Amino acid sequence: MITPEHLKWPAGADCTAVPYAVFQDQEIYDLEQEKIYNGKTWNFLAAGAEIPEKGDYKTTYIGDTPVVVTRGQDGEIHAWVNRCAHRGAEICRERHGKSEDGLFTCVYHQWAYDATGDLRGVPFLRGLAGKGGMPRDFDKKRHGLRKIRTVNYSGAIFGTFSADTPDIESYMGEDVRASFKRILNRPIEILGTTRQYLAGNWKFYAENVRDPYHASLLHLFHATFGLYRSSQKGGCVDNNKLNSVLWASGATEDEAALDDMKKDKLRTLQTDQYELKDRSLLAGKKEFDDDISLVILSLFPSLVLQQIQNTLAFRQILPKGRDRFELVWTYFGYQDDSEELRNIRLKQLNLIGPGGLISMEDGEVTEICQNATVRDGKYLNVLQMAGREVKGDDHLVTEGLIRSLWQGYREIMDF
Amino acid sequence: MVSLHSGDAAAESLDKLAEAMLDREVGELLNAYVQSIDDDELESWPDFFTEKCLYRIVPRENHERGLPAAVMWCDSRDMMVDRITALRHANIYQVQWYRHIISAPRILAVTGDEIHVRSNYAVFRTCNDGESTVYNVGRYVDVIVRDKDVLKFRERSVIYDTHKISTLMVIPI
Amino acid sequence: MTEVKWVEVSNRDDVPDETVIEITVEGRDIALYGVDGKVYATDNLCTHGNARLCDGFLDGHEIECPLHQGMFDVRNGQPTCAPVILPLQTYPVKIDSGRVWVGLGQ
Repeated sequence: MITPEHLKWPAGADCTAVPYAVFQDQEIYDLEQEKIYNGKTWNFLAAGAEIPEKGDYKTTYIGDTPVVVTRGQDGEIHAWVNRCAHRGAEICRERHGKSEDGLFTCVYHQWAYDATGDLRGVPFLRGLAGKGGMPRDFDKKRHGLRKIRTVNYSGAIFGTFSADTPDIESYMGEDVRASFKRILNRPIEILGTTRQYLAGNWKFYAENVRDPYHASLLHLFHATFGLYRSSQKGGCVDNNKLNSVLWASGATEDEAALDDMKKDKLRTLQTDQYELKDRSLLAGKKEFDDDISLVILSLFPSLVLQQIQNTLAFRQILPKGRDRFELVWTYFGYQDDSEELRNIRLKQLNLIGPGGLISMEDGEVTEICQNATVRDGKYLNVLQMAGREVKGDDHLVTEGLIRSLWQGYREIMDF
Repeated sequence: MVSLHSGDAAAESLDKLAEAMLDREVGELLNAYVQSIDDDELESWPDFFTEKCLYRIVPRENHERGLPAAVMWCDSRDMMVDRITALRHANIYQVQWYRHIISAPRILAVTGDEIHVRSNYAVFRTCNDGESTVYNVGRYVDVIVRDKDVLKFRERSVIYDTHKISTLMVIPI
Repeated sequence: MTEVKWVEVSNRDDVPDETVIEITVEGRDIALYGVDGKVYATDNLCTHGNARLCDGFLDGHEIECPLHQGMFDVRNGQPTCAPVILPLQTYPVKIDSGRVWVGLGQ
């Protein structure tokens, strides 16, 4: 699909000055469905651990299109559009389920498909008592479901509608790939799911997860409780412009460091000081070989993979129209977690998710940006923290990853 | 002549009276709890619980699938105090008020010192724009005990049906 | 070994080759098939879905269920094509004086 001229960015707009129209315009949203979600992108569908057994399935979306991802009778992963080839009905209507007989049967006329999406059963294909039936030349092989190319990478399943999408590793890029495998290094155990919906355009969130600049300024939990360490190290990098990783090292439960910090007058933000009465919230266990305690990995367009201390989660970004999106959090640990570590993770989940003590504000800001930019499509934002270049940095006070995002976005949208 | 049965009848009467009083006390606890939250008396929220307690807000889908992840999880009153401190002084969210509507509680069992109670709730949320919407509905599953002659929650599980949480959840339910 | 109870169910002429009919006997729905000059009998209800095999398509010795096109060998009840997995209950048949008899009780 050719990008209409009137949607292209005006002179003066570039990745340091993005027009708010990208967040507000319906035509742009519709174009994204074509260029991004039906284009050369890998879209997160599920963790393999969510559909462990043959016949298990999960319903989700690629863009606006409802899809089903399932583990077939052959143990392999398959995915297809959740639309009956007959007259368009939704086939699977639950969030999770299991096909006991290996078939997926539409409720309307009982057309039945196998896990690969091939059409297996058409009731009264040959008619009934000599009357009716499909035409003699009706060929089931030509009426299967719209299939999705999938890849199961380190236990995460992605789907794409395009035959031209590069392999997942090339798509990710070297740093993203390494960071991905650092977390998904062995079989995981699903701890549960939570869901939020935000009244704002999905790309406000895409910016937010590439924005280490806001961390200590918006999320005041650490500063308020005197937990923020000014000496915390970090960095960020973009791969293929659209994907990125930002990380920070140094845990906050280190007593000696906390004492140092109390004496340390270098605070980013002067806030009132309170004390946590129950510090077990932050008690953690070092579980990686490095001392990185925070990773936010963004794989455009739909996935954030995160490690925040001992919490691990997939965050799936699902657009629901130009001014609304959903965030699906799938929390996990490892299958070989001790009881103790599992409980630490469950307690630390207080920090993230829709009620997350350090993450809830991310939802809030997507909405306040949405509200204020409603009619200001031709105005431009300002993305100049740490300069104007399109790149990550060896520190966290930067908007370089957001500039990369917009550079990549312009390319994929042909703006 | 005093018949053999009148003693039993009296005992039964007393039992029924005791049950009615307990019903009322439990109802009073549940209503006081939600009204306290609705009235923004959040500093009192932890006082409804015993010292060692469990408060968790979990989506129904996790509960039914036997998955433990929760939106809020406090296993001590101190954790609850910390949540309120964060709410007052750290977290950033738009101004909002809850209005809980709860069903009459059902006492499912009394085992030892524990009273097992179940009730339904609906929380309407009103934000700055003045619109009240259905924010979250679900059920409370409680274990209540007598703590120095006052009923308190030893465990309160908030199992919510409204999987899609609008924006965020900062005020406890 | 249980005694087989023979029940008269239809005329032989009602079940020519390439035909499947349904009969009800002692509360059971049974399908009769004409295959290569012989008659076979199975339960009429498919073991996979809620479909009557008498509404299906008899192809030689295989009956194709009308719902999802799963197939059984009518001679022994065995599934021969997915999605059917569980075999059909079969019944012995004898022809006597132009009448079809089905054996129940095994």
